[in-house]
Amino acid sequence: MDIKVLFLILVPLSTAFLIPLIDLINAKLRRFFVLLGILLESYLLVSIIINNFSELKKGDLFLQYHLGGWQPPLGINLVMDSLSLIFVVITALSLLLIVTYSIGYIGHHEGKYYVLYSLIAAASMGAILTADLFNIYVFIEMLTITSGALIGFKRSKEASAAAIKYLVYNILAGLLFFLAVLLIYFNLGTLNMADIALNFTTLSVQIKLFITAILLTSILIKMGIFPFIFWLPKSYDTAPSPVTAVLSGILSKVYLYIFIRIFWTVIGFKTLELLNLNSFLLNLALVSSLLGHIFALQSNNIKRLLAYSSIGHIGMIMAVIMLNSTAGFYGGILHIISHMFMKAGLFVSCGYLLQYTRSHAYRDFRGVGLKNRKVFIAFIILLLSMIGMPPLLGFASKWYVLIAFLEAQNYFGAFIVIFGSLTAVIYYLRYIAKGFEEAKLTDTELNEEIYSRPLLSVLYRGKIVSFISYTYTAIIILGGLSFRFLDLPLKISTLSVMNVEKYIELVLGG
Amino acid sequence: MFNNLIFIILFMLGLYTLIMKKNLIKMVIGLNLMEAAVFLWVIAFSDTGGRISIHKLAETNFNFNDPVPQALTLTGIVIGASTAALLLTLIIELNKFTGTIDRDQIEGLND
Repeated sequence: MDIKVLFLILVPLSTAFLIPLIDLINAKLRRFFVLLGILLESYLLVSIIINNFSELKKGDLFLQYHLGGWQPPLGINLVMDSLSLIFVVITALSLLLIVTYSIGYIGHHEGKYYVLYSLIAAASMGAILTADLFNIYVFIEMLTITSGALIGFKRSKEASAAAIKYLVYNILAGLLFFLAVLLIYFNLGTLNMADIALNFTTLSVQIKLFITAILLTSILIKMGIFPFIFWLPKSYDTAPSPVTAVLSGILSKVYLYIFIRIFWTVIGFKTLELLNLNSFLLNLALVSSLLGHIFALQSNNIKRLLAYSSIGHIGMIMAVIMLNSTAGFYGGILHIISHMFMKAGLFVSCGYLLQYTRSHAYRDFRGVGLKNRKVFIAFIILLLSMIGMPPLLGFASKWYVLIAFLEAQNYFGAFIVIFGSLTAVIYYLRYIAKGFEEAKLTDTELNEEIYSRPLLSVLYRGKIVSFISYTYTAIIILGGLSFRFLDLPLKISTLSVMNVEKYIELVLGG
Repeated sequence: MFNNLIFIILFMLGLYTLIMKKNLIKMVIGLNLMEAAVFLWVIAFSDTGGRISIHKLAETNFNFNDPVPQALTLTGIVIGASTAALLLTLIIELNKFTGTIDRDQIEGLND
């Protein structure tokens, strides 16, 4: 029983609902209030790590909180094991960086923005920490509603259209998830994940197939894997830059976590093997990755290009996880971490670079690098990391992913990793070259352009924004130089994914 | 059997409305129809012919309905209502800019 696990969810949740009250006192206070909330969350996390450091080192960190004092099969319980710890840590770090960025970026409707942002923080923490299947559904829907509102935040024609499209797809996915959860409840009489994991093998094959198919469809829509990728680029493109960073940096990783949790812990990889779905899913993810990179090649819009490359990378991560080997998980989780910071950093620096341009299109990217040299260099370093340049974090993660594919003798997967890097060189070099082209617009013309655009990414505190871009770059460089320090967390989280029996025993016994 | 039939008819009707209708409001209606189908099916399925649905009285030999699916469905209804409200808000917003709620005439919804 550790109440700090509960407070990881409660702190951002109460921050969200206290912001309107803070607004009544002083509207400027709310920025610091949100920052305080996220900092408090980081403090809780640090104190959890320090208090349990000896168990963490041995790899058997396990914290549990029973809501209302009900013992596991009956009540809702929150569980933190090594896998959820690593996801909570990287999510909290991203949340902290992006909220600082938002303070510099969002200049209008701040109150509404921070309420929605804190709700996203609470929901992603909840989805990672909960051990109750229905709770996951509730938190997923919370994520859908808040992120849908944030995608439409710019209140333009494109933003509203993208938000409607995003919501229609994701509500459908949520409905399917609800149906699957209820089917599991009707068949097993329980919603606790460990309890379901214990009894799921006793079901008949048809019911297993039905439940697995519905759950898979729902989660694939949420993650943006091949047949359901079409909502993703549009919403990434039109959302404000910090929101895009949240979408690609936090939401897609939370869905990957839910995917791992459900298909390894709850349903079990053996069921997927029994239903012959594992190789199908592996190839689906690889095709999705291939298509993401091919679509990125023909894209003429920088934010859409990054979105398509996100599809490519998420497909690759899912494929390497589907190998179900220790090396696969090691590479997959390392790539989740590195992609989280690379992509969020790219969107963050995009937000700074695109402040003087008319649109996100390729032709308007001209001269961007000459105007803001420092941020553009940070942008290029992040792009190099996406490609997989040696001293950076992207290289380390891609290397381990490649090794995992080669170890499993999956040469199509290894080909996709290298193909992704090679196409990335082509489509990123175009933009780097365009960025260094001489622009002909004068300053007065630029100013006119900025003020003619309604509510579109006008920066208010440019220094904070550029500082966060540098921070992301620093994380990527330092992580690349010292990724050996990530060895321990990666190993223990891999162990905790593979050892399902221990998870079941700890949840139901403690 | 009858329950399943109603569920399938309502769900397919909702899916048809969602995919085939060009009016955005009708799209939302289709989504809600699908939600309603799922909720109705869940409630019908959890009905075991009991008189009450309170867990505590189970010990006293009452024939009782399972209360958990009903509680879960209530949560689902709340979520469904809020998503529908958000979608309708966005449609009003979109209508302000484009003056139409026809899916074909709004660029960016059909590509």
